[in-house]
Amino acid sequence: MTSATLILIVLALALLSFAYRRQDGSHRRAFVIGWSTMRRTLPLLIVAFIIVGYVNALEPQALVRSWIGPGTGLKGVFIGIAAGLLLPGGPYVVFPLIGSIYRSGAGLGPTLAMITSWSTLALLSVSFELPFMGWRFSLLRLSLGLGMPILIGLLASALPSA
Amino acid sequence: MTPARSTTRITFMRRRKIDWTTVFLSLVALGLAVVAWVRGGSALALTGLKSGGETLLSVTPLLLAAFLIAGLTQVLVSRQMVERWLSASAGWRGILLACVGGALIPGGPYVYYPIAGSLLKSGAGLGVLIAFVSAKNLWSVTRLPYEFALLGPKLTLLRFSFTFIIPPLLGFGAEALFGRLIDRIRETAP
Repeated sequence: MTSATLILIVLALALLSFAYRRQDGSHRRAFVIGWSTMRRTLPLLIVAFIIVGYVNALEPQALVRSWIGPGTGLKGVFIGIAAGLLLPGGPYVVFPLIGSIYRSGAGLGPTLAMITSWSTLALLSVSFELPFMGWRFSLLRLSLGLGMPILIGLLASALPSA
Repeated sequence: MTPARSTTRITFMRRRKIDWTTVFLSLVALGLAVVAWVRGGSALALTGLKSGGETLLSVTPLLLAAFLIAGLTQVLVSRQMVERWLSASAGWRGILLACVGGALIPGGPYVYYPIAGSLLKSGAGLGVLIAFVSAKNLWSVTRLPYEFALLGPKLTLLRFSFTFIIPPLLGFGAEALFGRLIDRIRETAP
């Protein structure tokens, strides 16, 4: 068992005992919610991991390195941001994909820029934002936030291990 | 047609709504399978499927724990709790509280944007709203377990420490620079 698995299991058990001590069936409801989330996302998860499998099998290392590899600088960061903007779906879809791209040789800077741009600027979530917040809020938040993935990508590229 | 009938029809159509993310990703997967088949025949096409299945199996224990944590967070932190908490806060302290609220609130954009929208309507400041949304995006405690499970501890820790400062920074920055525009922003909100 990896340390990551262990950490998550300990965290889950701690929260579970907290919920259990409430004595109001919270822990049972948590299982129901977790189970239904999993059932709902299972088709997407399977498709995402099929993509991951083909990315592994097709060995795109050369392509990934030349586009967003370490040392691609500002260009790599911008490609990472553009990819993050377009990535569809929730964390269980996007994280395996970004993980397989990173393992295929993407630089730390472009990878972190991609995660940040997906988290903060993803076009799909903006389509939820507009009807509730209005275009002035979205425009302001996006233009304030646009600099962040650029900055983080460049900073991470400058790390000695990147 | 009677009104009752048309209502059932609308519900029926809503339930059959196509999930475009799944459709799009399935097409991508299919495209990659074709590329693999053209390049290496059925052997490479099968290798891809097998490798995907093995990767999914290897993260299954992590994923199960992550789904359970997400379920527990949703039960322990209610939407009403965060909403009540944030509507009472304002100013610099409010921005920091909004960061914590954004980190704790469970659920996707269809949950936190309605909340942010109602906060906007009830008079919350720009900094509070920007901090809330940014913290949900970057600090979210329900998203972190998935990230940890699927991206690995190293990338997750690096990503989290690099982006840690952003929610309060954007909140304070937005309030200082554009805070007085909040009434005009409220005008375009539905």
